[in-house]
Amino acid sequence: MLIPALGWVSLIGFASLFYYVFEWVPLEANMKFSQKIMYIHLPTILGAYLAFFVVFFCSIGYLWKRTEILDRTAKCSAEIGVVFTGLILVTGSIWGRPTWNAYWVWWDARLITSLMLFLVYLGYLLLRAFADPGEKQARLAAVVGIVAFLDIPLIHVSVSWWRTLHQPSSLFKVGKSGAPEPSMPIEFLLPVIAGLILAVVLYLFLLLYRMRLEARLEMVAAQLARHR
Amino acid sequence: MNRQLQFIIGGVIIAAILGTVIYQTTESTVFFYTPNEILAAPASFEGKEIRIGGRVVPESAQWNPAKVQLSFRVTENGRTFIPVVFQGAKPDMFREGQGVVVEGRMESGGVFRASNLLVKHSEEYKIDPSKVKDREAAYRTLIK
Repeated sequence: MLIPALGWVSLIGFASLFYYVFEWVPLEANMKFSQKIMYIHLPTILGAYLAFFVVFFCSIGYLWKRTEILDRTAKCSAEIGVVFTGLILVTGSIWGRPTWNAYWVWWDARLITSLMLFLVYLGYLLLRAFADPGEKQARLAAVVGIVAFLDIPLIHVSVSWWRTLHQPSSLFKVGKSGAPEPSMPIEFLLPVIAGLILAVVLYLFLLLYRMRLEARLEMVAAQLARHR
Repeated sequence: MNRQLQFIIGGVIIAAILGTVIYQTTESTVFFYTPNEILAAPASFEGKEIRIGGRVVPESAQWNPAKVQLSFRVTENGRTFIPVVFQGAKPDMFREGQGVVVEGRMESGGVFRASNLLVKHSEEYKIDPSKVKDREAAYRTLIK
């Protein structure tokens, strides 16, 4: 019951969010139409970060307690994270062409660290695909899952540590009073927040769906092994 | 020493290497120079392929459609500047007073000949004041 409910909420939610974004949300003064890609770019970032945080958390838990469910969760979550990261790169590039005048720049730290995130977790999935199933694969993957997560704080600070083309954090900036304040008017902020919430729902749907599939695959494999 | 501990120690070592690399690159790597850095030692940059990041001086931009050439001045402090000549189409988002990064070569006359022009966009988002009417026009530009 829970899995289809999450699926429908994310489908209907995103569909109505995009209708709202194109029909009601005002245009941005400088970027005009192209700014609308922000409403999908930011949610995919949250989806990827959340997915990889779950990988990180479950990997630590697995190395500590050796609980198999944690290993399975990390595996499924990483797959979803890679898809979300791919979407970050694609939507970011599409946005970059009209605003920066380039799809991609090789010297921008935010872009390179984001590409690193994609490649590192692709490596993680390759490791899982090539190593024999079992305790050793789970252990190796857990170590990679922990180390790879270090790239996310690096992405976060990349715009302040290096000179980049990418602008600083979109959501909040430090205001005159020293307290964080939103760097966009409420008309833009509301659909962004709605998109972020929906990204969490979509992530949960994909994770639970994928884990159910994984459990069934393991069951089939066990039965096949018994009949051989 | 058990296997688990070995992996944790391994992870710490990898993190330490990563940290050192990051620290070193932030200390020494410059992805683009600012106009002031170049004006401080113009001779050392002459003829080199570099990037400059700065703001476009207001009322300095001249667009020549016949030659497909955009010339303007970039500044850091608003007082001293570098003249830039960019050969290519004027980007849609190009505005005077805005941040840009230009890639190209510093010529002997002190003019920067840019082969690539990138426009920075600020993290500030503002509502388009012209609202509904202009929105339809903006949608129409997509299918022209």
